[in-house]
Amino acid sequence: MNEFVYDVFTRKERGDRLQHVGYVDAFDDETAKIYAWTTYSEERWFEMCVVKRTNVLPVNRVDGLFVEAQKAAHV
Amino acid sequence: MSEPLNISTLEGARRDALIRLIITLADSKRILGIRYSDWTLGAPSIETGVSTSSMTQDEWGHARLLYAMLKKLGIDPAPVEHDRPGEEFASIAALDHEQPDWAGLVVLMTLADGAVSTVLRSFATGTFDLAQNRVPKMLAEEEFHASLGSAWYRRLAATGGEARQLLTSSTEAMLPGLLAWVGADDDAARLMVDAGVIGPASERLTAFRDLVRDFVALVGVDIDSVEASADWDEARGRTPGRPDEEACQRARGDLNRALLVE
Repeated sequence: MNEFVYDVFTRKERGDRLQHVGYVDAFDDETAKIYAWTTYSEERWFEMCVVKRTNVLPVNRVDGLFVEAQKAAHV
Repeated sequence: MSEPLNISTLEGARRDALIRLIITLADSKRILGIRYSDWTLGAPSIETGVSTSSMTQDEWGHARLLYAMLKKLGIDPAPVEHDRPGEEFASIAALDHEQPDWAGLVVLMTLADGAVSTVLRSFATGTFDLAQNRVPKMLAEEEFHASLGSAWYRRLAATGGEARQLLTSSTEAMLPGLLAWVGADDDAARLMVDAGVIGPASERLTAFRDLVRDFVALVGVDIDSVEASADWDEARGRTPGRPDEEACQRARGDLNRALLVE
């Protein structure tokens, strides 16, 4: 069963910068949202969102996590 | 909605029926929490384990809120929570034993948790003010459980092989008891319907069947053809049986009795 990496972003208060707090492995968008919400529950977040790592397009790097995710998605 | 339920004039069989309803809902929440906690370690991934842990906390929080409703009827909830023997637990039969596999827990999340939410939804729109005030937040928290259950149910159903087989057998085993519980139509249940505390049995059953129809169809089960269990324990408002002793000990907090804080 295939799983994907989803990066988790949060902001604690309205107006705060959106920050990367970690990632979860999930098999679809719906479970990614649930896993993120239950895993990163240490704060009462004003906002949380998840991004499938393969949807992040690297701009200036030719190596690293996001490039690897892109490569894996196109195998 | 009818006039709010007047607790001060509630007596006899109607009062007993409301107590039975509150206890079967509260016990089901408490034992459901234990069944989720059984899989906090051993779930298919760390993320899923964290989610079952979170659902455990939700269910225990909901149970406490439900037991506390007994205060309004002049009953101290502490002995109900901590001193009852297992034979008096009124939780739904699907929760009597730990699920032997992950597919069973997914069926529990989808169908058993769904059954409890169906009755709670009916309770929340009835005439009992505490249910109107407290239950909607529980139902909002339950949306996560339903989403997780639904995603896993679809995933295992599509996988085929042993996982699908286990999903099918758990579904078939659980449904008759759940239909009997959701569609309770004995004297006590009818008293609650007459008082407007919950909706009629047919309405609850339709809501539950609509909720699960598409899921169970994925494993070849036609919800409209499944018959409810005929066996019924009128005193507790559930099908016969009881949770295993270990679950009862954990639910009562037997091992932590000296540390109990109310």
